[in-house]
Amino acid sequence: MNTLRDKYCIVGVGETEYSRSSRRTTRAMAVEAIRKAILDAGLKAADVDGMLDYQGGDSTLANSVASDLGIRFNFYMDVMGGGSSTEALVGLAMGAIEAGMCNTVAIYRSMNGYSEFRIGGTGARAAQPVRGLDLAQVPYGMRSAGQNFAPTFMRHMYEYGTTSEQVAHVRVAHSKHASQNPKALLKERVTVQDVLNSRWIVKPLHLLDCCLETDNATCIIVTSTERARNLKHRPAYIMGVAGRVSKPRLDFHWAHGPISRVAGYYAKDIVFPQAGITPEDVDVTGSYDAFTFTTMLQLEEYGFCKKGEGGAYVSSGIIELGGKRPNNTSGSHLCEGYTHGMSMVIENVRQLRGTVDDYCPRATDGVHTYDYSPGHCRQVKDVEITMNLGWAMPATGSALIMRR
Amino acid sequence: MPQPVQYRGMALIVPDNDSEWKEFYEHARAHRLVVRKCNACGLMRYPPTHACPWCMDLGWTWQEVSGRGTIYSYEIVAHAIQPGFKALTPYAVVLIELDEQRGKPTADEALRVIANLVQPDFTPEPEANVAIGKRVRVVFQDLADHMALPQFTLSEEPAPGRLWRLPG
Repeated sequence: MNTLRDKYCIVGVGETEYSRSSRRTTRAMAVEAIRKAILDAGLKAADVDGMLDYQGGDSTLANSVASDLGIRFNFYMDVMGGGSSTEALVGLAMGAIEAGMCNTVAIYRSMNGYSEFRIGGTGARAAQPVRGLDLAQVPYGMRSAGQNFAPTFMRHMYEYGTTSEQVAHVRVAHSKHASQNPKALLKERVTVQDVLNSRWIVKPLHLLDCCLETDNATCIIVTSTERARNLKHRPAYIMGVAGRVSKPRLDFHWAHGPISRVAGYYAKDIVFPQAGITPEDVDVTGSYDAFTFTTMLQLEEYGFCKKGEGGAYVSSGIIELGGKRPNNTSGSHLCEGYTHGMSMVIENVRQLRGTVDDYCPRATDGVHTYDYSPGHCRQVKDVEITMNLGWAMPATGSALIMRR
Repeated sequence: MPQPVQYRGMALIVPDNDSEWKEFYEHARAHRLVVRKCNACGLMRYPPTHACPWCMDLGWTWQEVSGRGTIYSYEIVAHAIQPGFKALTPYAVVLIELDEQRGKPTADEALRVIANLVQPDFTPEPEANVAIGKRVRVVFQDLADHMALPQFTLSEEPAPGRLWRLPG
């Protein structure tokens, strides 16, 4: 198979504070995150000549933020989208460089996802006029992401016997990881019972099954392995990428069976052959946790366990720090803050470098205690290969495999 | 262009050039549930679209269906997002598998429709009565001279298979 395996890498990462009240524009936040990523890579503004970003009418376009930073483009593009965009844009950045259009691409997402345009659909967007395909669902009180995905989760429970208790373990694991993350908005560890006792949002989702709307900007920088040789950090080599792979129907996906199948079913056959590995080779996963269920559904669809056994997999301890294959070691969307996926790629880059920003005093030098009791370490030992599983909805997903 | 239809705090907009929905809602106002049927391969589809997803043919006709089906999946909204639904919580959103064309053209396919599970006065059916596998039939909630919303209500028929609802 002809692939670009190891020819491109992520060389810089950066993010703003995660908060619920940024008190500034998406433009200001994007500038800060991109600048941090450029400096993290050991680059200058003039070294970045490509830019990609994604948004949903809630952010600032590349032409503004690049000008603020003194970046001149050989290539840029603003893309509509939320979750699953990060991995897809990594692939597009590789393609743009491979085509000779540019050399180094900054990819960013900036949103006031709590204080301005609430991602969950509450606020100003809740009473928008309804037309077109929305007529098939919104008049029935089905509009938010949770409301759109819940029939898929419910059908999975019906078909496979998956339980609320099992998926609650995803929240438990991610809260454990967040307790090692100074950036996380919710650092307190929770129990399965805490999840089950939290109020219902839309059955089968409790409040603690849902992620945390957040204000933040995030950025990663992609360049060629050749260019990466002279930069600051050990690069995260890209082994394989799949971008916005879809089920047969996107628009009314719950109508087309099996609805408990998600897009990873198709994406896995693209990304694993590119990388030349199997799920068993992956040390750390980053499975998009818009909800506890999304993490579980993707892990099983990509083959980390058998289809239908995701509930057993996520409740077995495997996905926790100290387990065989930790998932979302930053605490990610459920606990760190919701970023539309970029933060999980950033976390895996740091895991591969060995410099996760936990509470270890010399973390930035790569010196870790591997003490996973609260308030200490979240670096996984000897990480060789990571995998990100991006989610937009049951019918659309992306994937990214990186190595040290 | 007709005025937007006000429903539960939302403006439902079906302009004259809405080539997907305008006639669908006129049929619904006459209390007929219709789907599009491909002139070439004969397969039906919902929601209304302009090409056949199975054979790409552009020819179609409206086909009335029985409005009978089975609950395939559901959710119970406890925390409403839309302001007009807050007083209705908890309410059920149901995914209905219609009796026509089940398992075609592949084993996993069917005509599936989203609606609320309602009582005769269109208030939500109590949660205890909602379950995957229950039989339902369509009812029409008249909203304007040119528009009615298809909804579903529990039918008297016994469930043919396994009944399941979220424990607790």
